[in-house]
Amino acid sequence: MIHSRQQHSLLWRSLLLAAALLLSQVAVAAPVIELHIRDHLFYPAELMVPANTKIKLVVINEDATAEEFESYELNREKVVLGNSRAVIFIGPLAPGEYPFFGEFNLSTAQGKIIVKDE
Amino acid sequence: MLLDAVIIVLRETLEAGVLISLLLVLLNTRHSALWVLPALVLGLVGSFVYMWQLPAVSTWFDYVGQEVVNASLQYLIFILLLVLLALRSSPWFAKTELVASLAGVMVALAIIREGVEILLFYSGFWHSDEGFIKPLLSGFIGLMIGFSVGGIVYYLLLPLAEKLGGLLVRLVLTFVAAGMVSQATQLLMQADWLPTSLPIWNSNGLLPEQSLVGTLAYAVLGYESTPTALQATIYWGAIILATAAQLATQLFFNSVKPTDSQ
Repeated sequence: MIHSRQQHSLLWRSLLLAAALLLSQVAVAAPVIELHIRDHLFYPAELMVPANTKIKLVVINEDATAEEFESYELNREKVVLGNSRAVIFIGPLAPGEYPFFGEFNLSTAQGKIIVKDE
Repeated sequence: MLLDAVIIVLRETLEAGVLISLLLVLLNTRHSALWVLPALVLGLVGSFVYMWQLPAVSTWFDYVGQEVVNASLQYLIFILLLVLLALRSSPWFAKTELVASLAGVMVALAIIREGVEILLFYSGFWHSDEGFIKPLLSGFIGLMIGFSVGGIVYYLLLPLAEKLGGLLVRLVLTFVAAGMVSQATQLLMQADWLPTSLPIWNSNGLLPEQSLVGTLAYAVLGYESTPTALQATIYWGAIILATAAQLATQLFFNSVKPTDSQ
């Protein structure tokens, strides 16, 4: 009986350890990169990002009107309200170029993320 | 004509248009189409409410509230679609009000999700000198194209549905349901609520997602050119779940039929 209880507690401990390991992996803070929208343009229009890394992209819309950050290559789509900010997690990405655009101002709001090996 | 307005309205209405058409085909033989109008009104009112609340919602959960709410809407549509597809083989499918309510709520939720983006796009013209007329007319063209595609889907599937006993439309709706889950999963990855990884393939060269066929495939089949392993697993898991739910009700109600007077 005691033996089985010990086994039981060992199982729980290893489960907890596994969960903690998983959580600690999630908790590793992603590098933050800022992207501004001004007069329906992205600043900077080109962002350099390391390969195979998750990035926290903070989009700051300085215009009074809303914009939609969108990228087919990144699989991302998000409305950024006027005079506010939005957080979009991107990656991990393979090296290459990933264009993005502002769907509400297709003719002007264009940019790309350039992913390079470190 | 404002091309931006045409494209935005078309892209956002295409998905709802296809969903409405498929539900109309599914419900066609036994139900009237009267549920569509209240669903559209409810969706439109809901879109306004969501837009009004969006400044607050956007700041939730450290600025990923939009993803969480949108993903919840899509998981909810998936669950309702799953229930409706399972009901299709049961005697309850004859309960007009229940079935029409399910379809109506689903369409309203889909419109809220897409409609808020159209409203926000148009809110940008509120203070501009360009005025509303040109973007509204352009948007109307987009709306009409979206509706036409929905109409084509309806008239293509309806005769086939009658011949095949609704098999084809149920199959397509199963893919639509899986697409909803796959999109919702992607939103939660965007919010960093679910783990991400490198895509397991890239079929963008074969069928670009932004092409017309790609957009349609995205709306109907949940097509994704660069899915992650988690997304692909959840997509196929949803298809298996939806198929199993339909088969289970079908087998169950077929087996009780001889003793049932229906």
